[in-house]
Amino acid sequence: MGKIKKKGTSGQAKNFITRTQAVRKLQISLPDFRRLCIFKGIYPREPRNKKKASKSSTHLTTFYYTKDIQYLLHEPLLAKFRDHKALAKKIARSLGRGEIGDAARLEKKGAPKLSLDHIIKERYPTFVDALRDLDDALSLLFLFANLPSTSTVPPKTTALCQRLCLEFEHYLITTNSLRKSFLSIKGIYYQATVQGQDILWLVPYKFVQRVTGDVDFRIMGTFVEFYTTLLGFVNFRLYTSIGLVYPPRFNAKSDEQGGELGAIILEGRGIEEPKQIEAQANRHVNGDVDGEIEARGANEEVQKQIAAIEKLPDADFDIQDGNALGAEEAINDAIDTFETTGDDADILPQPQTRENEAGSLFAPFIFFLSRETPRQPLEFILRSFGCKRIGWDEVLGDGAFTNNESDPTITHQVVDRPPLSSLPEVSNIDSDVPAKQVVRPGHRMPGRTYVQPQWVWDCINEVKLLRPDLYAPGATLPPHLSPWVKPTKGAYDPTAPLAEQEREGEAEEAEGLDDEEEEESEVNAEVAVPASKAKPPTDTEMIDDHGMNVAGSESDSDSAQSATSATSSFAGFDDPAASESETETALTQHQRELEAEAAGLTFSESAQTTKANGTPVKGILKESKGDEARKKAARKRREEEEELERRKMMMGRKKRKLVDKMLYSNKAKDEEAEKLRGKRRRIEAGKT
Amino acid sequence: MAPESASKKRKAVTRDSPESEEVALSDGGDDFEVALLNGIQVQSGDDMDGDSSDSLEDEKDSGEELDSDEVPPDGEDDVRDLVKENGFLREPTPEEELNGEGPAANYRIAKDANGNLRYVYNEIDPVYDSDDSDAPATTNTIGNIPLSFYDSYPHIGYDINGKKISRPAKGEALDALLDSIEIPKGWTGLTDPATGKPLELNQQELEVLKRIQMNEVPEEGYDPYPDMVEYFTSKTETMPLSAAPEPKRRFVPSKHETKRVMKIVRAIREGRISPYRLPPEEEEDDLDVKRYDIWANEAPRPDNPMNIPAPKLPPPGYEESYHPPQEYLPDKNEKKAWEEADEEDRNKEFLPTNHDSLRKVPCYARFIKEKFERCLDLYLAPRVRRSKLNIDPESLLPKLPSPEELRPFPTMCATKFLGHEGRVRSLAVAPSGHWLASGGDDGTVRVGELTTGHQVWSVQLEKGEAVNVVRWRPGTEAKVLAAATGEDVYLISPQIADLNKEVATKSREIIDAGWGYAANGAKSNTKKEPATQWVRPGSRLEGDGVLVKFSLRKTVKIISWHRRGEYFATVSPQGQTNAVAIHTLSKHLTQLPFRKLKGLAQSAQFHPSKPIFFVATQRMIRSYDLSKQELLKIIQPGARWISSFDVHPGGDNLIVGSYDKRLLWHDLELSVRPYKTLRYHKKAIRAVKFHQGGLPLFADASDDGSLQIFHGKVVEDMMENASIVPLKVLRGHQVKKELGVLDLDWHPREPWCVSAGADGTCRLWT
Repeated sequence: MGKIKKKGTSGQAKNFITRTQAVRKLQISLPDFRRLCIFKGIYPREPRNKKKASKSSTHLTTFYYTKDIQYLLHEPLLAKFRDHKALAKKIARSLGRGEIGDAARLEKKGAPKLSLDHIIKERYPTFVDALRDLDDALSLLFLFANLPSTSTVPPKTTALCQRLCLEFEHYLITTNSLRKSFLSIKGIYYQATVQGQDILWLVPYKFVQRVTGDVDFRIMGTFVEFYTTLLGFVNFRLYTSIGLVYPPRFNAKSDEQGGELGAIILEGRGIEEPKQIEAQANRHVNGDVDGEIEARGANEEVQKQIAAIEKLPDADFDIQDGNALGAEEAINDAIDTFETTGDDADILPQPQTRENEAGSLFAPFIFFLSRETPRQPLEFILRSFGCKRIGWDEVLGDGAFTNNESDPTITHQVVDRPPLSSLPEVSNIDSDVPAKQVVRPGHRMPGRTYVQPQWVWDCINEVKLLRPDLYAPGATLPPHLSPWVKPTKGAYDPTAPLAEQEREGEAEEAEGLDDEEEEESEVNAEVAVPASKAKPPTDTEMIDDHGMNVAGSESDSDSAQSATSATSSFAGFDDPAASESETETALTQHQRELEAEAAGLTFSESAQTTKANGTPVKGILKESKGDEARKKAARKRREEEEELERRKMMMGRKKRKLVDKMLYSNKAKDEEAEKLRGKRRRIEAGKT
Repeated sequence: MAPESASKKRKAVTRDSPESEEVALSDGGDDFEVALLNGIQVQSGDDMDGDSSDSLEDEKDSGEELDSDEVPPDGEDDVRDLVKENGFLREPTPEEELNGEGPAANYRIAKDANGNLRYVYNEIDPVYDSDDSDAPATTNTIGNIPLSFYDSYPHIGYDINGKKISRPAKGEALDALLDSIEIPKGWTGLTDPATGKPLELNQQELEVLKRIQMNEVPEEGYDPYPDMVEYFTSKTETMPLSAAPEPKRRFVPSKHETKRVMKIVRAIREGRISPYRLPPEEEEDDLDVKRYDIWANEAPRPDNPMNIPAPKLPPPGYEESYHPPQEYLPDKNEKKAWEEADEEDRNKEFLPTNHDSLRKVPCYARFIKEKFERCLDLYLAPRVRRSKLNIDPESLLPKLPSPEELRPFPTMCATKFLGHEGRVRSLAVAPSGHWLASGGDDGTVRVGELTTGHQVWSVQLEKGEAVNVVRWRPGTEAKVLAAATGEDVYLISPQIADLNKEVATKSREIIDAGWGYAANGAKSNTKKEPATQWVRPGSRLEGDGVLVKFSLRKTVKIISWHRRGEYFATVSPQGQTNAVAIHTLSKHLTQLPFRKLKGLAQSAQFHPSKPIFFVATQRMIRSYDLSKQELLKIIQPGARWISSFDVHPGGDNLIVGSYDKRLLWHDLELSVRPYKTLRYHKKAIRAVKFHQGGLPLFADASDDGSLQIFHGKVVEDMMENASIVPLKVLRGHQVKKELGVLDLDWHPREPWCVSAGADGTCRLWT
C-alpha cells in the first residue's frame, strides 16, 4: 500500500495562491503588486472549487495562479520597485532633517526609471499579438489625450498620449487603413484594419470630461504608462514598415495653434508628403508665410528629390503612393478571379479588395468644415479616405488647406447648423478675389454641396458616396446605424423592410390589437376632449390623443405641441391595456355585454377580444378579422409546440435541459426583436 | 577596626588599677589563658560553688566572645596593647609570672577567727566591655517613682543587692576625663630603632604625612596649576623683530609646483585625465520615444492554454447611435424603469437617446468611469473560458422522419365491441384479419367481425372461470383458436357461418390429427408419464366447436403460438417448474422443457424465424436455443416486474412492458440492456405488441386507460440504430377498479389496433 497522501500538498491547494499570500511572497506593497500585475498582464483566477483552493477563503478572496506569482519573482521591475522604496525613504529622511537640497537632488538624480520594454516583448512576442491587443490601449490613450492636466494626470502624460495618438492616426491616413466609424452617444468609434487585425477604439467627443470621485487615476495611470510604451513601439514598427522616419517631426508652433494632425510632419522616402499641398495652399492663401513653413517646404523639396532619386533604381520600394508605378504594382498584386467550369465543383470564396476604393473615396473633393463641426474627427476621416485638401474656419485651428470659406475650388462643405429661412444665395462672389470671411453664416455658395457631418460617416461605412440631398442642412437625417451589426436570422434589422422580417401572421395579429387600441383611444379621446371628435382625426392625432390619455393631464393644446416631436407621442404607445381599466365603467361594460349578445357572441368570448367602442358592429367585424388571424396563429403555435414536445420526449434529460436553455435564450432574443418590430409597425402606421 | 581599638584603649584606660592584666589579656581574647586560669582554679582544690559558677560563666563568656563578630585583633593591635600596657599599666613582675601567682592579686589571705588561713577574694569585677547579654542587668529597685526624685543625689537608685546605682557617666564626664589625659605631640608609641628612644615625630614630618594622606605632592609649596607663561604671543607685534628685506624666493614661482602642474597638464593633453564636466542633462522624453524595433526578430510563441486573453469589448449596436432608428428609443415606461433601477441592475448602462444633429450631442458623463471599469476588469476580474453554446437548438433535437413518413397509424376508435360482461381479459385478431376473438371474466369466448363489431360466435367455456387468454393459431388455411380458463386449455375451431367449409374442415383435421399419435405415443413412452392428458371437452362444448381440452397444474395466463402453428407454449406463472409448457398440436403432446426455472415465469414467446424461445421471468428475459437446448442470452431490461414482451418480426429487437410503467426497447445485437427506456404512462403497462404485418409500429396498453402508438423503425444497416418516434395516445377505455386496457393486438396487415378494456369493451382503432 502506498503512502497516504497528505491533504493540501497538491492539486488546487497548491496551484492557487491568495492575493495576500502573493504580496507577502513578493515582499512588495499592495499598490506595487497592482502595478506589477497590470504591467505583466497577470489577472486573478477562479478556482473550480474555492474550498479546495484555500480552506479559509471567503467569497471575496482573490486567487492567483502560484506559477504566475513565481514568474513575477524573477521580474526585474521588482528590484526597481525596491530601489524606489529605498529612495523614498532617503528623501523622507532628508526632508525630515530639513535638507531640501539633498531631497531635490535625490529626487532628480536617483529616481529609478522604469523601462517596460522587456515586458512589451514578453507579453507580445509578435507584432500581430500587439496589434490584437490595441483596442483598449487606443481607447484609453485617446481619452487621456483629451483630459485636462491635473495633479493626477501630469501634462507630460497628456502630451505624450496626444503625440502617440496623432502618430497612429497619421499612419492610418497614410495607409488608408481606416475602415469604419460610428457616431455613438458615448463618442466616436473607429475601426481600422492593420495587417489583417481589426482594431476598434472609441474617442470621446471634445468636451471636458466629468471626473467622478470613485475613479482611481493611479490605476489608470499605470495602464497609460504601459499602453504608451506599447503604442510607441507599435508606431515605430508601423512607421518603419512603410518607410517613414520615426519619430516624425513635431511642429510645436503649429501644435500651439491647434494644428493637431498638421503639427506632425512625416518624413520618409518614397512617400508623398501629405502636408505638401496644404503647405502650398497656405502659402497661396495666407500670403504671410512663416519661416517654419518655408523651412518645411524646403525640406519637402529636398525630400522629393531624394525620393525621385531613390525611386529610379528600384521601383519595388514604394508601396503605397498613388503614382503610376504604384498603380501597376497594384494591378499585378490583385487576386485573379477564378471561375468554375463545371456545375459540380465547389465554389471557394475569394476576398474582395476594397482598399483602393476606400483610399480614393473622397480623393477628388475639396472639403470645407464650418466652424460648428467637429474638426478633428472629420479631418481624420476625410484624410484617411483620400481627401487631400480640407479647409476650415480659422477658429478650428491651424493646418487648414484654406480658411477662406468662399474659395471656389471647394466642392463640399460640412455644415451642422439649422438653415435660416429665405436666405438668398451669395451672388456677388468673384472667384479670383480671395475675399476672406465674406460668407455670412447661413449663406450658400453656388456649385457646392452642403452636407451634414453624418453624411461623411454614412459614406465611409457604405464605402460609396450617398445622396447628399438626404443630408442637406436642416433635413431630417436618416437614422445613423452601426456598421458592426450583422443581420442575423430572427434578429430585428432596421434596414430591411418590416414585411420581410415578420413572422407569418404577426402583422394581422398586431393589426387586430392596434385596431382595438385605436378604437380604445378614440373612445378615450371622446371622453377627454369631446370637441376633438368633430374634426376627422388623422392617425397622428389619434396617436397624440392616445398619448395624452396616458399622461392624463395634458390638454388639447399640449397634444398639438407634442405632434411636433414624434418621440413623446410614441413614448406612451404601449399603455392602453393598462389604462383601459381606469376608463371602463360599469355602464360601458354593460353596454358591451348587450352589444356582444346582439352580435351573437357570448360575453366571455368578446370580453377577451373586444374593448369598449362606440360602433359595435364595425368593432366586431374588425375584431373578428384580427381574431381569426390570431386564432390561426395560436393554433399553429400550439401545433408547433406539440411537435416540439414530441421531439423533446425522445431526448435524454441532460440534452433536453440544454435545448430548453437554448430555446429560452433564443426566445428572449425573439421577444426583443418582436418588440422592436411592434414599435416600428406602430411608427409606420403613424406615418401613413 | 581602628575606632574599635581606640575605644578599647579608652576602656582599658578607665580601668582601675587593681584590675588585673589577665583581664586585659582576656580582652585580647585568648581562650587558652582563660582555660589556664580555670585550670589553676580547679587545681587549687577549693570548691567554691559561687565562684565556680562564675568561672563557668567566664568560660561561657569567652565562648561568647569567640562567637561574636569581633575578629581577634591582629598582630599590630597586640603590639599596641602591649604598648598600652607598657605605658600605663603596671608591668607584671617576672617573679609573679614564674610562680604562676598571677591570681594572687585576686585574693588576699586573711585569718579567720579560728586562726586558720582564709582567702578573702576580691570582688569580681564583671567585664563590662563584654557584650554579655546574659549578665544580670542591674535593675533599679526604686519602684514606680519618677527618676527626678534622685536628681539631687549622685546615684539614681538601688540594685537588687541594695547597692547604689550610680548615675551613668554623661558625655561631659568622659570628655573631661579624656582632656585630663595628655598625649604628647608627635607621640607615635614606636621605638626609634636607632636610639632606642620612643620615636617622636616633629611638626614638619607630621605635615608631610598629612599631605601624603591627602594625596598631595609631599613636597611643600608645590603648585600644580601655575600661571601660563606666553613665550610666543598671539598678538602681532607692531615692530618686526627683523628689518631684513623680503627674500626673492617669495616672488619666484615654485619650480616644484610647476613640475607637478605640468605633469597634470600633460596628462590632460594626452587624455589620461579628463577634466570634470557636469553630466549633461538627459533628454526627458528620451525614454518615451521608441527608437528601435522591439519585434525585429520576433518569434511566435505557442499559446499557453492557461492564458486567457482579455475579451474585447463588443462593438456598439444600433441603440448606441446618436441618431438611432426610432424603434430603438425607449418609451416612457422603459425610460422610467431604467431611471428607477439601480445602476447595477440596468441591463444597459445608457439610455438610447436621439439627437437631431451632431452638434447637439452632449458629453457622455460616464466615459471616464466606463474606461476605469474596463481597466479594473482587465486586471481584477478573474477570467474564465466559458464555452458558449451558439448552436441552433434544432440541430440538437433528434432528426425525425417527416410526419408523412410516419403515416399510417391508428388515430381514432372505429368500432366498439360489446357483449362481454365484466372485463375483457384477452383478445386476438385472426390471421386473416376478419375476425376478432376475445375472452373475458364472464367465461365466454366470443368471435366477432372486426370491421363491424358483430358477434358471430360465442361459447361459454366454464361458468365462473374467467377466460385468461385467447390466441389464434397462425396461418390462414385454418381457423384454430386456443383459449385458457383457469388450468384448462381449449383448442377451438369456431363455427362461424360465414366461414367456408374447407377452412372449417381443415381446422378440425388439424386439431384432431393428434389423436392417433397420442394413442401410439403413449404406448411407446410408457416409462415416462405424460405431463397431461389431451381429452375431448364434452359433448356440449364439442357441439360449439371446442374440440380438445387439457389441464395443467396451475392457471394458464399466456398462450403463444409458434409461427408455423405446430407448437404453442403456455405459461402459468404460479406453476414453479411446470410454469412453461410446450405443446405439439399434431401429436397432442405436452412437454415441460424446464426442469428448473429461476423466478416466476411471466411470458414466453417463440422467435419469429429461428428456433429460439424467449421466457420472461419477473426481472429477466432468457432466450434458449431449442435445437441445441442451451441458454443463449439473458436480457436484463432493468424493470421490476415484467408484464409482457414482444419480439420484433425481424427477431433482433424486443419490447418489454413492465408493471413499473416502463416500456423498454431492446436491441439484442447492441446490448442486454435496453436501448431506449420510455416512460410515458402513468400506470402499469399491461401489454405490448409489435405490428406483425410489416408496418413499423408498436403499441402498449396501460392501466391508465390509454394506448400509445409508436413508430419503431428497424434499419437493416447495422450502423444505424432503430428510430423510435412516439406517435399517438389513444384514449377511450374507461378505467375500472384501477384497470384500464388489458390487452391489445394489431391487425395482421392494416395499421389497425384492437384493445381489450376492463370496462367490458373492445375497440378497434384505425
